[in-house]
Amino acid sequence: MPLIDIKQLSKSYNRKPVLDNVNLSVSSGSVLGLLGPNGAGKTTLLSILTGVIGKDSGDVTIGGLDLDREPGRIQSMCSYVPQTLAFYPRLSARENLEYFGSLWGLRGKKLKERMAFSIDVGSMEAFVDKRVDTFSGGMKRRLNLAIGLLNEPAILYLDEPTVGVDTQSRNYILETIGQLNRERKTTIVYTSHYMDEIEQVSDEIAVIDEGRIILHDAKEAILMHADAVLIRVGEMGEVAVAALERHEGVRVEKGNVHIKRDERFEENMTAAFAVFHENAIGVNDIVFGRRTLEEFFLKLTNVRLRDEE
Amino acid sequence: MGGMIKLLYTLKKEFLLITRDIHAVTVLFVMPAVFIMIMSLAMRDLFELHSSVTIDVLAVNRDAGKNAEAFVKAIEALPTFKFHRLEKDTTTERIRDRMLAGDYKFALIVREGLSAFVEGGGGGRGEKPLELLVNPSVTVQTQMVLRGALEAKLAGMRRDAFVDRLGGVLEAAGVDKTALKGDDGSPVEVRYAYREGRAFKVPSAVQQSVPAWLVFSMFFIVIPISNTFISERGQGTLMRLESMNVSRISLIVGKMVPYLFINAIQVLIMIAIGIHVVPLFGGTALTLGSSPGGLVLIAAAVSFSAIALALLIASLARTTEQATTIGAVLNIIFGALGGIMVPTFVMPRFMQELANLSPMAWGLEGFLDIFLRNGGAADVLPESLALLLLGGVMVALTVIILRRQTEV
Repeated sequence: MPLIDIKQLSKSYNRKPVLDNVNLSVSSGSVLGLLGPNGAGKTTLLSILTGVIGKDSGDVTIGGLDLDREPGRIQSMCSYVPQTLAFYPRLSARENLEYFGSLWGLRGKKLKERMAFSIDVGSMEAFVDKRVDTFSGGMKRRLNLAIGLLNEPAILYLDEPTVGVDTQSRNYILETIGQLNRERKTTIVYTSHYMDEIEQVSDEIAVIDEGRIILHDAKEAILMHADAVLIRVGEMGEVAVAALERHEGVRVEKGNVHIKRDERFEENMTAAFAVFHENAIGVNDIVFGRRTLEEFFLKLTNVRLRDEE
Repeated sequence: MGGMIKLLYTLKKEFLLITRDIHAVTVLFVMPAVFIMIMSLAMRDLFELHSSVTIDVLAVNRDAGKNAEAFVKAIEALPTFKFHRLEKDTTTERIRDRMLAGDYKFALIVREGLSAFVEGGGGGRGEKPLELLVNPSVTVQTQMVLRGALEAKLAGMRRDAFVDRLGGVLEAAGVDKTALKGDDGSPVEVRYAYREGRAFKVPSAVQQSVPAWLVFSMFFIVIPISNTFISERGQGTLMRLESMNVSRISLIVGKMVPYLFINAIQVLIMIAIGIHVVPLFGGTALTLGSSPGGLVLIAAAVSFSAIALALLIASLARTTEQATTIGAVLNIIFGALGGIMVPTFVMPRFMQELANLSPMAWGLEGFLDIFLRNGGAADVLPESLALLLLGGVMVALTVIILRRQTEV
């Protein structure tokens, strides 16, 4: 039985459907990457799952509990880390953790233990007593996440947790999320605009667009269904690019050469390597039967747009 | 138990947020303290019997008679006014120039013929032996005070002269002349009216200004409330709290209770300033009245209403700038209308009726009942109920607005 089970969930604002008959299930201990363009319905879906807003119709079961009947119990086993920096900038990190911990009903030794865990996970020992409005973007993001861990959630909803942070903090947050999932078996629902992040942390990927889940599958299954071979190469001049793109089925994008798997595949592969040789271009990697999530997402949403026109 | 601990942590959080917000501290504590000090000291002599205010008056005596000289000497003994004598041949133009250049409020010209006027002679009923030049900045009330004093002195002198003229007749009739002349003291006894006739202190400026500026500053709770509330909403903290099984009602109560405490601290500090600090600067100490219960009731009602208004404004406004501007403007209008800046009893009738629209007027009347009229809890009950009812309506509106905002 899935930990999160959503059936025919619908929600409208002012008669405009925002979620339309959504069906989605998330298995226990997995990381679901939820992808979708702005306004697709991601935040509304998370708001319903966290009990912040009500649904119009459908059934949601979390940990075997019905969201309509036992929202309080469901909320106590979940934690929501919003996209915004949802804490008090004029308080110190410790004061913020203490306040939010107290709202979870923690006190005394238990509160101290949970605060210590969150401070450790957020690697905030050095600045935990400083006012948050003096923090860098990365430190604030780590605190935002740390607050979400105070109640030892079985399910962690992360809404764009790395927006506006430097590479170091971003990597730290992604590693932490992976660690929480591996070591504590925390089930994570993760939304992000960064495809590489979703690709890095997720086991399952769901794509939501215009309030509908248009795809939900295991990450590997999505990425393996490729229709091209990807060759990652070094520096390429304009002459080489032009020479490659003369061949039908060959495309150059962001330093990667995509060769379509069609009847010209072998001919195009030979031609491509000839161009690399002639122009002294080094080949860094060849990815067979795999595509990047970004390519896939863009292709998927473009097709939908085209279909609807 | 769990709820109480959550409330204590919420209180701690709100106190930390306020004490670290310099604008909030200034508006809630510094501004009213300064206003109370300034207004208590500036208006001290308007309310107290031992007046130390003196108004400078230029005086020219153009009458050489002894009655005129006696009149000038008599008015020089008046309290409040200080007369500066000029030469008898000083022209009216010169007097006017000196008055305006030296910032004198009045110039009194004793015309030739005053002595004859006192003796009952002179040029008939239309004769005016005194001329009063008035600086345009002087209020009609102050003008009336000087006019009244001059008229009383002159009338007294005319009465005494008349009695003297009848001297022989009165003696023959066995009437005591001195009894007819009377004395210079006022025949009017002034007594203040207090609730149920209880003895109380003479009203002073501090008794008037502490309640007025206390009510005003309590309504300025809109600044810190809207700052934290709108930040919480904008930064997603409200959504986070709602996802933590904290209900909307709990959120509002959790916001109201700490600010009730903060308003209570305001009340205590402003009263302490009235009692202990104002006297250090020469003002009269505040007296609390005899009803702590009444004071708590009206303070709690004003606080509830002020916090409810702040929450309503914060829930309607999109930004903190919007909320603080709307809140501040509304407070100033309520204050001006409600008798904070200008007492309602000096307003024209239609303005006094308009003043009833301001919740600050209700709160102020309640505090004045306690501080000035020595009233009790029963006396402040109507104002308190009105404030609590208004607060309840505003809280209900806030809940409805927040629910709609979450759903949209």
